[in-house]
Amino acid sequence: MDETVAEYIRRTVLKIPRDEIKMMLQKWGFLSEAQLQTLNFHQIKDNISQEVVQLCEENSADIKQAAVLDIIYNHIYQNKRMWSVYQMKKSGEELEYFDITDFKKKFKRRLRSALKNVTITFKEYEDNAIWIRVAWGTPHKKPNQYKPSYVVYHSQTPYVFISSSVLKSTLPLLCQALIVASNYHDIRDMELRSHSLNSLKDIVFKRYSQNFQTCPPKPLQGGNVEPENADIRIVEENRSEKERIHRLNQEVFGSGPQPKLEFAQYRLETMFKSDPKMDVLDKKEPFRCLVKFSSPHLLESLKFLAPAGMADAPLSPLLTCIPHKARNYFKIREKKGLYPESFVSP
Amino acid sequence: MAEGRVPRAGADGKKFERRRRAAAAMAEEAPEDGAVRTLPSLRRLSRALPFGRSHGRLGISPSGRLIVPALCSQEKADPQKTAFLLRKAWTLYSVTPLYGFRRARLRDYARLLGAFIAAEKQKGLAVEVGVELDIKVALSSLADIRGSELDQAALLVQLSSRSRGSSRTSEDKPVWWGWFCSVFGDELSENVPEHFTCLPLFLSHGAESYTALVGSWFQKTFDCCFRRLAISPLNLSWMAAMWAGCKLDRAASAVELVFSVPRLAQPLDISYAIHPEDAKALWDTVQKTPGEITQEEVDVFMDCLYAHFHRHFKIHLSAAKLVKVSTAIASAHCDGIVKILHSQYLPGVLMLLTELAISQIQ
Repeated sequence: MDETVAEYIRRTVLKIPRDEIKMMLQKWGFLSEAQLQTLNFHQIKDNISQEVVQLCEENSADIKQAAVLDIIYNHIYQNKRMWSVYQMKKSGEELEYFDITDFKKKFKRRLRSALKNVTITFKEYEDNAIWIRVAWGTPHKKPNQYKPSYVVYHSQTPYVFISSSVLKSTLPLLCQALIVASNYHDIRDMELRSHSLNSLKDIVFKRYSQNFQTCPPKPLQGGNVEPENADIRIVEENRSEKERIHRLNQEVFGSGPQPKLEFAQYRLETMFKSDPKMDVLDKKEPFRCLVKFSSPHLLESLKFLAPAGMADAPLSPLLTCIPHKARNYFKIREKKGLYPESFVSP
Repeated sequence: MAEGRVPRAGADGKKFERRRRAAAAMAEEAPEDGAVRTLPSLRRLSRALPFGRSHGRLGISPSGRLIVPALCSQEKADPQKTAFLLRKAWTLYSVTPLYGFRRARLRDYARLLGAFIAAEKQKGLAVEVGVELDIKVALSSLADIRGSELDQAALLVQLSSRSRGSSRTSEDKPVWWGWFCSVFGDELSENVPEHFTCLPLFLSHGAESYTALVGSWFQKTFDCCFRRLAISPLNLSWMAAMWAGCKLDRAASAVELVFSVPRLAQPLDISYAIHPEDAKALWDTVQKTPGEITQEEVDVFMDCLYAHFHRHFKIHLSAAKLVKVSTAIASAHCDGIVKILHSQYLPGVLMLLTELAISQIQ
């Protein structure tokens, strides 16, 4: 077995938390059940991985099998990577039958014609997702197995989710191979990024709870906003305002859980407008800003801004449109003409 | 130029007045009638007039408004010597005056501190486990880092490691820096009795454990007290306004304000970065008198930024907590961590930080 393969397997096993190693090796299926029985999973990981490498040696593992183990690891720990969403476009309306073998062949052929040294691995999952792993080399160097790209393609949809390699130049090649293999003619970056792959899928496949058009607003009985006060001497002064905010929030966000995004970025190129009394900046050029919102769960935190008193209700459409528009990178320019107060988001 | 000060009659007794920021004091302040000290190319931040006593102070306008001169840049500091201070994240502390400190004994102090650190390590109380390092201590004066003649020159403490067993000629690797300084800290130094040395601002970079060791040695040896220096949102907004207005020759980085909204179910951070030219253009229309800044102007500047943000996102940034300000000049975090990026403005930034340190001591 190649030394580099041995080292790669060793390092991959080391990444796995100890109590999950057995499960992952079983999923991998490269080592027989009998071989797995010989492994002692109660020693330190260093030793476990050495033993695994030895067993792989017995079975003469090559890089293809090692790559499959890597896909399995990344499929389970998909949220460790940052995913970007791309949408492919067809020229016509033809609904072609998707042939996975044809797809794989075309994909490999396209990549290999551009770059001789690549390692390409496929794995299909139950939810119609095809996982593709590509390790990139150069005409003179073997592929770097430690900086691969991952693609998740749901063949019934025009969407691909890419976790790019840090080797930036590889992205255009990857995109090209994808459209060729899937018979599309163009691919565009949707400017939608997150660590949570499932949330990205929720957004583009519209699987999240939408606004009130799909579920009618419930009439509020006071108890919805805060627990009923047992003491009737306590009267909330702004109860009706609170209820209004709650209702507006429901309309915008729906009542189900929000897709999990970690950030939203806005490049503002709008004019600075101020109270003329203040006698400040009055330029004819845009006031250039870059605003970035970050949170472990951005949409949930935005949902609670208005009830917390930090924002007006209804919340700005720039924020609430994120799931509908399926993007979290925006460029905002001033809308010219009749309505100078409104914004255009291209 | 009058360099001396005119002490107001009746000034005695109180050594360390409470000083507050300009805002609150503005309304009540009586016009200053002591001699106004002027310095050639440098201006200083003035502080709120303390109650009952005042010094000859720069920058008080006849109308009674408290004014703060703008950030200055100093030409005489040698950029080579101070280069190591730039682009490092410094943790800030205020330090009360040192008793019995003598500049002539720097070598002795270095030796004593080195012995102290070694002893603490023997006790097993210090630093990294399993690392066999000898720590070498060096103390030196940074003569260029001071504001006026009344300031003490800055004092640098540097810890370097030399792995055991290596030859004498092997290089020492610096592992920790700490320096004491005072830039226009006259407020403190002029009130202090003999044998005390005033270096109210302390900046450290390196492992927290070394900071604790060095700090406790200084505290024991010179009977002083270190306290972490936090920076309030109010002071951060001053820094944002002042630094946004600085003139910069090269392409500058954005003026970034970072806000935190902590009390939500999911914490939210908002980064609001403004193109440096646009931020400066805004500040230039807000600031009425060059060389002076008032609390009111800072408020207007911040309100403008808040309003622009609100127009787009309907969020009241003023209700969030300003935790970090970052500009091409310097960046400051509310936990008292500062990074200075531009040597030209080093004295100005230090002056501001000295002032904060003194406020905390008094």
